[in-house]
Order: sequence, then C-alpha cells, then structure tokens
Amino acid sequence: MPVDLKRINGPENTVSYKLYTPSKTFKEELKCLFKSNNKRQDGRNSLEHRKMFIKTGIVSQAKGSAYLELGNTKVIVSVFDPREIPNKTDYSQKGVLYCEFKYATFSCPQRRNFQQDSEEKQNSIILKQSLEPAVCLHEFPNFQVDIYALILENDGSSLSAAVTCACVALAHASVPMYDLVTAVTMGVVDNQILMDPTLKEQQLCEVFDETDTKSDHGIIVTSFMSTHQQISQFYQTGNINLENISKSISISTDASGDIKLLIEKCIVNHVLKGANKSNEE
Amino acid sequence: MAKQYKSLHPIKYFRDYLAHDIRPDGRELTKYRPVIINANSVSTAEGSAIAKVGKTTVICGIKAELCQPKTETPTQGFLIPNLELPPLCSSKFKPGPPSDQAQVATKVIADIIENSGCINLQDLCISTEKLAWCLYADLVCLDHDGSIIDACLLALFTALKTVSLPKVEYNAELDSKNLQMDERTPFKLYNVPVSTTFAILDETVLMIDPTAEEENLCTGVVTIVIKDDELCSVLKPGGSPITEEKLVDCIKQSMERAKLLGKLIDTATQETNDEIDK
Amino acid sequence: MEMDSNTDCSMPISNFGNLTRPDGSTIYSQGKSTVIAGVYGPIDVKPQKMLIDRGSVETFFRPKSGLPGVGDRLYETIIRNICETALVSTLYPRSGIQVVIQEMQSGGELISCSVNAACLALLDSGIDMKFLIAAATCCLDQEGYLIVDPTELQQEKAKATFVFVFESSEGRIVASHTTGTFKLEQYEQALDLCKKGSAKIFEYYRKVINGKYNKK
Repeated sequence: MPVDLKRINGPENTVSYKLYTPSKTFKEELKCLFKSNNKRQDGRNSLEHRKMFIKTGIVSQAKGSAYLELGNTKVIVSVFDPREIPNKTDYSQKGVLYCEFKYATFSCPQRRNFQQDSEEKQNSIILKQSLEPAVCLHEFPNFQVDIYALILENDGSSLSAAVTCACVALAHASVPMYDLVTAVTMGVVDNQILMDPTLKEQQLCEVFDETDTKSDHGIIVTSFMSTHQQISQFYQTGNINLENISKSISISTDASGDIKLLIEKCIVNHVLKGANKSNEE
Repeated sequence: MAKQYKSLHPIKYFRDYLAHDIRPDGRELTKYRPVIINANSVSTAEGSAIAKVGKTTVICGIKAELCQPKTETPTQGFLIPNLELPPLCSSKFKPGPPSDQAQVATKVIADIIENSGCINLQDLCISTEKLAWCLYADLVCLDHDGSIIDACLLALFTALKTVSLPKVEYNAELDSKNLQMDERTPFKLYNVPVSTTFAILDETVLMIDPTAEEENLCTGVVTIVIKDDELCSVLKPGGSPITEEKLVDCIKQSMERAKLLGKLIDTATQETNDEIDK
Repeated sequence: MEMDSNTDCSMPISNFGNLTRPDGSTIYSQGKSTVIAGVYGPIDVKPQKMLIDRGSVETFFRPKSGLPGVGDRLYETIIRNICETALVSTLYPRSGIQVVIQEMQSGGELISCSVNAACLALLDSGIDMKFLIAAATCCLDQEGYLIVDPTELQQEKAKATFVFVFESSEGRIVASHTTGTFKLEQYEQALDLCKKGSAKIFEYYRKVINGKYNKK
C-alpha cells in the first residue's frame, strides 16, 4: 500500500485483536438470533423498529444538518448551500446532488480506512438515488447541493438511517422538496424477516449458507416517499423469493409512514422555534 | 440591517464591536465559551469522547490493534493520532485528501503528545520485538467554529482516559495469542495537557477562545498548551507580531483556564467510570 | 546561567544568486544546518488561491530526501505565515509569491535556518517588506541551563527547545515554536536569550546586504 503522506501512518501490518477472540459458527449464531420467548436479543419482536431520535441544527457551519440515532447507530448529516458545479463547462438544466457517505474510522468493529472504500462509494450512490426524486432539482439549475453523511457508530441499518437523516437535513437547509424520503432496512435470514436489523443480525443476513441454498437471506433497503406512495430507491442483496420481497416492501413502506410522522414533527418543531425567535426580535 | 452590514463590511462590523470591548457573540475579550465533554460516546471504539468548545465539536475514537514493534524501538507500542477536517464540518473544506490545515493540526497534536510525556509507549508493548498495541486515535471534527486544537486535545485525552485494553497471553515460541476479554486493564495517562487558543487583531487586541469567524478576521493565533503547572508548548505560527508582555499575559490566562479544563476532564471520565461500575 | 557557544562557528554563512531562475535566492548555513531558498514573485496565481486585496504567499519546504510529509507541512505553514506578515502583500494584489526552501543538511535549529534563509531570499528578490525577520533557537538541557545555538546532539538530549522569530522594527515576537516541557520563567529567559541572538542575525543581514551592493 502506498504511504499516505498527508497523515501520520502507523506500523505496516496491524490486525484487530478481535481476530483472536473465540468466535461462533454461523449455525450457532443463527440459534442465538432469537431468545427463548421469540424476542430478538435486544427484546424486540421480529417486525419491530428500533427507537429513533432525531435532532436538527447540529452543525453550526452548515446550511442544514441533522443527527439521527437508531439504537446504537449514530449518523450525522450536513447539507451546504448550493454552489456552482466544480469542473463543469456546459450548462445543466437541473441541479445536482453530491452525496458522500462515510463511516468514521472507529464506527465499526473493524477499523475503517480514511479513504472511501467500495461499500461507502456504493452507499453514496444509493443515498443520492434515494434523495434525487424528492428534491426539486429544477429550482437550482447549474448548481450542486453537497450532502455529507458520516456514520459515527454503526450498529446495523446505517444506510437507511443516513437516508432518513439526510432528508431531515435537506428540509432543515430549506431545500425545496416534493416529499420527505424515509428509508427502512429489512433483513431476511433463514426465511425469517427482521425489521431494522442490528449489525450482528445484518451480518447474519449477508452470509451465504452453502449447506442450505433454498432458504432466503439478504438485505432490502427501501426508500419511500409516503405522501406520494412512491418508492424512490430500492436496494437488495442476497437471494430472496418474490413472496418475501413483496411482504418486506409492504411492511417497510408502512414503517416508513410512521417514521415520516416522526420527522415531520421534528421539522415542525424547528420551524416553530424559528418563528418564535423572529417574533421576539 | 445588521446582517447586511456584516456581510458587506465584515471587518468593520467586527471592529465596531471590539471598540466597545465586546465580541459579536456577546463575550468579553477574556471570556471563553462553555465546554462540554462526554466520554464513552461510541461503543465500537476502545475509548471515545466528544468535546464541545462553544459550537466547535470534535469526536475522538480510539481503536486498538495488534502489531509488531519497530526494530529501532522493540519495547514500544504506538499511538497514532490523526485529525480529519471533513467537508461535513464547514464549507471551508472540500472532499479529498486532508487539507493543509488538517495536516498542521495533526502534527501539532502529535507533537503535544510527544512533548508532554503524557503516555509511556512502553506500556503498550506486550512482548519485546514480537507484539505491541497500536492505538489509532482518530479525531473527527463535526463542527468547526474555531479553537480546533483546544477541542481536539480535550476529546483526545478524555478518550484516552476511557481506554481499557484486554489482557493478551502471548506465547513467543508458538506465536500464539490468547485474549482475555474480561480482564481489562485501563490505559495509563501520566498527565493531561490542555490548550487555550488566542486570536490577535492589529497586534494589540487579544481574544481568548476565538470562533471561526474571529479566526478568519484576525491576523494571527497563539496556542498555549499547559500540563500540570508546566508549559508544554507555546505555538505561534507566524502572524501579527506581539510584545513579550502580551505573550506572557496569554500564558497566565491559559494557566488559569487549564485548571478548570483539567477538572472537567476528570469529572467527565469519573462519571462514565461510575456508570460502568454500576 | 548562560553558556555562550563559540561565536565563530555559529556565525551564519550565506551566498546570493546561486540559482539563476528565481527572482531571489540564497544558500544559507547556520551551525551545521544548510538550506537553499528561492523566491518567485510576484507571479501568476491559481484562481482558487487568488486574493483580490493582497498577494497570496505560498511556501514549499522540501526535505533532504523523500517527499514532504505531515511534519514538513507544519514548517511550511509557520514559514508562510511569517513571510506573509513580513511582506507588504497589499502591494501585490491578485498575484502570488512563492518561497521554496530546500533542506541541504540538517544539524539542529533547522526552523531558524529556514526562516532566516527565507528572509534573505526575500531581500534578494526585492519584494517590499515591512520589516526584517530573524529566528533564533535555544535549548534547555537536563540540568536546567539554557544553550544558545545548540548543536544537533544538544538538541536531541535537551529537555526543551525554543525557536523564536522576531521582527526588526520593534523587536516583537512574530512566531514561537517549542518542544518539550518547561516553566514560565525558563520560557521568559529563553525569550531574552533568543532576542539577543536575533540582534546578531539582524546585524549579519546588514553586513551581507552591504557586501552584496558594494561589490557591484
């Protein structure tokens, strides 16, 4: 690997100490998925979403920003004023969204690199595709709005958390939008559907079990615009049969509606606060 | 009206305030902003903390990994600090490799760690020449509103105080490692350096703990790092010249503040340690 | 307590005009450190870095071998800020001034050496300056004595080292860089000592500039 001259570099080969801790096999892990009372490890039912916390106006230097907590998953998103599209010569009728999705180096069990890896790049694209249909791009031709999402701690479903958080941040930045986008992650493992999986569950969903090729596994991330009842982005990995997919979609769109109510409340609160402030002045 | 005046004549606007010995955010010249520290904020890191100095926010996460010590220093482990100023924290920064400012701040932080002797790298060695800990202390700025070094040091040392490393049983002959996850030893910090930044305007006006706006308009900064009752660094990277008396005055002011900040770090780590005990 | 090292060997040596392409250049040697500095300016500047009300100063510090790293970036910033203060940059709006410093030999007090070389190169280039700048290094040994113009060995063993940069008009402090830990009194003493050291450098500047023009 080339030496990064712009950072302080550590020794060449470092390994996570977690490699040397005892680990369970896939089958053992699968058994631990549910507790004896048919609840998940964190006490949820299989189709229960984690509690969500949203706050706007976290980054004072940004035009709009939001912080979202989903269990232990923590995401911060900031949105900046439109600026001219850099390195572009021809005129574009529509505005452009620039999205960057990044895990903080310490956010995952395994240390991440400073540079964006392929997963982060892919997530950046998904983030962009999820938001684009909702934003009135014709309102700012030839300009780009920068959206930066940083995952401070990853405990599963971080991509959907980033999409929802970015939508709140866009609203906070007063970017004109047709609708609010909310995203929900569904995990499928061993023919069971899990809503809003934790990191552990998500990792299990991503495992391809050679001994049992018939049972479903995978991840579905649905970004949904509730008012229009339209899906703005759909992302799926693994192999899942049609029945489970359609089931997951209907469950996640329902959940998206609930989340939308929550973020609406958060945005209204922000507007009220601003209104009170200007009244005082 | 004030808003328009500010954007048209930022320097004049600023000076009008200073003429009355008050700053645009309502502080006096010698008043610093409130500081908030939260320890153990991120559970995926071995140690972590968030520090807020006014609106400036820095998060520090420490990841421990295993590696082989360098041949020049066979009994030492590593502590690698790096500061990221991502485009998320301010519109001044653009995506891409670290800006000059981030690199300079990273170097300053690394120098402070080395100068103060706050850690003993030998504590991080598990087996001479064979195995050592490498602590990656990654600092990420979430909101850049001036006095970044101050916030970084607070976050870094609070995070370091919360680090505990699992016990490693290492067999040199077989090169086998066995980790005892339950037996954790806290990482030892020998002292806690804290810093205070000043901004200089017109070679005479000194402002403690400047905001980003003030830093932009001013013509120089001084950062003073204090550990216990000693000075650890007086960094004035150029800028407007100041007299000796002014500089000594800065040092005295930062010594006062250092006592408060030291206590704050202690309380922040104490609270989380109590929580863990419960 | 002060220990004055031998003045003869610590006296700087310099030579102008070794490089023909830059607008001003100097080879400067102080103690066991030698650097070569070149100044280009006023020149064209990239649109992103252009300042409408003054010239923008860029500094490049090249180490002896390899590519510049994070540590060199700190030196670059310090030297850039110092040059920015010393120059009357408002006379050169929308243009750039480049200061390039190539390390030739490092034997302690490298920052001082680079700053002084930059000042001489700027003098040679004829760019307007508000005042001259001079840097001096001193270090605190384990017994608590202050040593002016330390050698590399002394600097390595020292408890603390101090680098100060002064301006010539009123002798105020332009920059300060320290390593190690020290007490406030020790800092003040070091400051005094370096101020005396910087006076010698200013005298030296006068001498070489005189020599340069009288020759012609």
